[in-house]
Amino acid sequence: MRMKLFYKQVLFYVGLIVVWQVIFMTHVIPSQSLPSPLQVGQLLLKEAVNGSLLYAIGTSMWRLVVGLIIAIVGGLILGIFMAKMDVVNQTIGSLILGLQSIPSVAWVPLALLWFGPTDAGTIFVIVAGALFAISINTHSGIKNIPPTYIAAGRNMGASGLQLITNVMIPAALPYLITGFKQGWAYAWRGVIASEIIFSIAGLGFLLNLGKHDSDISQVTGILIIIMIIGILVDGFVFKKLEAKILARWGLLK
Amino acid sequence: MTKLQAKNIVKHFDHNGNSITALDGINLNVEEGDFVCIVGPSGCGKSTFLNIIAGLETPDSGEILLNGKPISTPGPDRIMVFQEGALFPWLKVIDNVEFGLKMAGIPKDERRQISRRYLDMMQLTKFADSYTYQLSTGMKQRVAIARALAMDPEILLMDEPFAALDSQTRDLLLVELQLIWERTKKTIIFVTHNISESVILGNKVEIFKNRPSTIKKEVIIDYRRPRLAEDANLQKYYHEILQELKSEVMARSKDDLK
Repeated sequence: MRMKLFYKQVLFYVGLIVVWQVIFMTHVIPSQSLPSPLQVGQLLLKEAVNGSLLYAIGTSMWRLVVGLIIAIVGGLILGIFMAKMDVVNQTIGSLILGLQSIPSVAWVPLALLWFGPTDAGTIFVIVAGALFAISINTHSGIKNIPPTYIAAGRNMGASGLQLITNVMIPAALPYLITGFKQGWAYAWRGVIASEIIFSIAGLGFLLNLGKHDSDISQVTGILIIIMIIGILVDGFVFKKLEAKILARWGLLK
Repeated sequence: MTKLQAKNIVKHFDHNGNSITALDGINLNVEEGDFVCIVGPSGCGKSTFLNIIAGLETPDSGEILLNGKPISTPGPDRIMVFQEGALFPWLKVIDNVEFGLKMAGIPKDERRQISRRYLDMMQLTKFADSYTYQLSTGMKQRVAIARALAMDPEILLMDEPFAALDSQTRDLLLVELQLIWERTKKTIIFVTHNISESVILGNKVEIFKNRPSTIKKEVIIDYRRPRLAEDANLQKYYHEILQELKSEVMARSKDDLK
C-alpha cells in the first residue's frame, strides 16, 4: 500500500511536469511568464553547481534555526509562566493572543526600523512570528498534564526547576510539538518574507533578484525549492517526531 | 516502635461553594514493619488521607508525625504507588525506576546498581529498556513498585495499586507483595476498596466510615503468610469487615436517594 502511494505521487508529479511542458510548447502563455521545466531545471542545476543555491538555502536555514531556537526557549518560559501564574495568563496571556494574530510579514517594517536590513532584523521577524504560537501551546500543554505525573514527581523529590524540566516539559511534549510545528510554519513564512523585502542573501533574496531581473526561471525555481524544503521539514522532521512522541506517550492507537 | 502517627487529621473540601468534611479527625498509629490496609466506601477520603501522609495535600488541622517529627511536605521517606502507576512515558523502564534517585543527585553508576536490583526483584530485568506503552497494566504496576522500592522509603504508600488489574495478575501480585514486605521489612500503608485485598495483605485493617470520615474499627489479622486469595480461613475476617462496611454503604446509598 505504501509503495503504491509513492508510485501514485511520482506519477502525478511526472504528469504535472509533462502538462507544464506541453503548455509551454503551445505558447499559450508567453515564455517570459512561463518558463519550461527544462529551463528551470537547468537554472537550478547551474546555481547548485556554482554554490549560490546552497549558500542561499544555508543562509535562510541558519536564520530560521537561530530564530526558532530563541522562539522555542522564550515560548516555553512564557507558556510556563502563563500556566503557573493566573495573573500572567490574564494579563500577558491576553496580549499574546492578540500578538499571535499578526501575520509574520507585518513585523517587517518594525524589524527594519529597529534593526535595519540585518540578520538581526530577519531573526526578529522569525521570533515575532513563532514565539506566541509556541507559548500558547506550551500554556495548554502544561495545563493538560495529568495531575498524577506532577504528584508522582513531587512525591519522588522533584520540585521547582527540577519538576519543570524533568516532569512538566516532557509530560507536555505532545502539545509542545504542535506549538513547535506551528512556530516553524510561521517562522518559515517570516524568513522568506523578510528576505524578499530587505535581505541581500537567502532564498527570499534570490526570489527578489529573479523579480528584479525579470527572470521567470529564477522565480519559479526558487518557489519550487521553498516548497520542497517545506515538505521535507513538515513531512520528515515534524511528522516523524510527532508520531514517535504520540506512540510513546500512548496517545496513538 | 511507632513509625507514623496521624493525630486528629481533619480535611474539608469545597464543593460548589459548600464545605464538605472529608476527614473528621483520623487518629492512627503505624508501627515499624506494619502492613496497614485502609478500606472504606468510595468517596470516604481514604485516598485523601494517604495524600496527606505523602505531603501532597495539607490537612486543615491535625498533624502527621514520622518517627516523632511532624511532616508537611513530600519527601523521599514516604513514596507512593499510584492507582494508575503514574509512570513517565518519556522514560525507559529503568529510567523510571531511577527517577527519584536522579532527583536526589545520586551518581549514575550507583543508580544503575540500585535500579538493577529492584528490576530483578520485580522480574523486570528484560524490560529495562522498554517504554511504558509496551507494557501490560500488570507490568506497569510492577515497575511502579520497583520505582518506589528503589527510593528505599521509610514508608511505602499504596493507593489502590491493583484496582485496574485482571484477577489473575492481581492474585499473583498479592502474593508477591507479601514476599517483598517480608523480605524488605518495609512499613506499608495500602488503600483499597477491595475487602479480600485488605484481608490478604494487612496485619491491620482500618475501616473508614462514610464522610465525614473517622476510623470505625481496626481489625487485627494475625495469620500465616503468604496468604492466598482462596484461603478459607480468611473468610471470617472478610465477613467481619464486610459487616462493618455494609452499614456504611447502606447509609451512603440512603443519602444518595434523598
